[in-house]
Amino acid sequence: MKFLCIDCDTAMKFKDVTRPEQGSVTAVFECPECFTEIAMFLNPSETQMLKSLDLKLGGNNTTAQPMQMVRSQLETSKQDMITNPTVDTENNESAEGGKCPFTSVISDAFDEKTEPESEGISWTPEALERLERIPSFVRPMAKMGIEGYAKDNGHSEITGEVMNAARGNFPTQF
Amino acid sequence: MKTYEQLPDDAGSNIIGQVNAQANRISKRLTSVKYTVAIMSGKGGVGKSAVAANIASALTLSGFSVGVVDADINGPSIAKMMGVRKATLEYTSSGVKPAETSLGTKVISMDLLLSDDDAPVLWNAHTQKDAFTWRSSMEIGALREFIGDTDWGELDYLILDLPPGSERLSNVMELIPNLGGVVVVTIPSEVSNLIVKKSITMARDILNTPIIGVVENMAYYKCQHCGELEPLFSTKDTADTSFQLVSLGKIPFDPKLSICSDKGTHFVNEYPNSPAAKELMDIAQKIQDFFKS
Repeated sequence: MKFLCIDCDTAMKFKDVTRPEQGSVTAVFECPECFTEIAMFLNPSETQMLKSLDLKLGGNNTTAQPMQMVRSQLETSKQDMITNPTVDTENNESAEGGKCPFTSVISDAFDEKTEPESEGISWTPEALERLERIPSFVRPMAKMGIEGYAKDNGHSEITGEVMNAARGNFPTQF
Repeated sequence: MKTYEQLPDDAGSNIIGQVNAQANRISKRLTSVKYTVAIMSGKGGVGKSAVAANIASALTLSGFSVGVVDADINGPSIAKMMGVRKATLEYTSSGVKPAETSLGTKVISMDLLLSDDDAPVLWNAHTQKDAFTWRSSMEIGALREFIGDTDWGELDYLILDLPPGSERLSNVMELIPNLGGVVVVTIPSEVSNLIVKKSITMARDILNTPIIGVVENMAYYKCQHCGELEPLFSTKDTADTSFQLVSLGKIPFDPKLSICSDKGTHFVNEYPNSPAAKELMDIAQKIQDFFKS
């Protein structure tokens, strides 16, 4: 799918993806010439199609984790899976310190018996509510990832906007 | 105004690149696998999974390194049949460590990820209607990850136990274009043969997949009282004549095989002198011969 700014006759670029509500994804595209923005709404079925194919709007710059689609998309799954990946499965590189919070926190995530401490970072009620909507078996991993993103980007409070910004790096939606 | 072809890319999503990366994960993983074998049948209930499990065990007992992918995402039975249901998967730097049977066969199955015995495979979605609509894509995605994200190590044989349905092989061929061969499982009944023929046509004539041969399961039984061999099903058109394919063997019905499957023990190992186990070992030998030739 491609988008053209008719006034500038220029290809629009992907800018952001959000999930406002009801299972729909909204992708924002911007003209690099006149900065006009357009929003593309995907209905829940189209959103599900993308999830089922494990594809991401705006590109996937994260490291593929073992069985990430199955683990994040199964509605109910075993809670006792052991996780210990500290190395990229594709490139055999250390995942620690990578730009993707998902890869930097996945280590030991499934070993967590309780959700991790926030270590000075606060969550707004809205953000906590959204966190609760993440499937329980990936929630600790997502929480750590969002907090890691917040720290890396100088946020002391996690808001809906911070979650939006962090979301692009996760295989699961929230 | 510019046309679709004149625009340089898909606004940065690089969908083609993402799909290629998925395919590369599988092909990279399969570089350490010598032979891939799909066990299939258009018909359900012919004992495909039991045959697949026992062929895998037979190959393992013959000294080969063997992995099994339970490609039946919604009705996984391999983990139980091979005695690894209680195994806990370990996610490591090189992928997911598969479960390992007491013989050393490596196994990956959806059964190892489900929360409990009663849990069906349900995918996250806004509504389950949305999930069902795209269920087939989710299943292929799961199979892709099972094959590509499992840390198989060096394998001589990777056995894929396919669910019933003539279209299932095409899903596998999308993921493994160079599939080594197919073993077709049937029972000696006209109903089974009618449906299995469709799968053979799909495999041989449409997908151009090498067919190793046909296994006729539950071909006959031996009376426990008089020792006479009797057919279990009535048929006048057996797999030998109707399929025009190499017959890999006819496995007699043996309740012990079913009991072993229920217990998660390895029939070919427990009852090596039984006619069914000997037939299964012979089938495994013919599979080896197929790849040698």
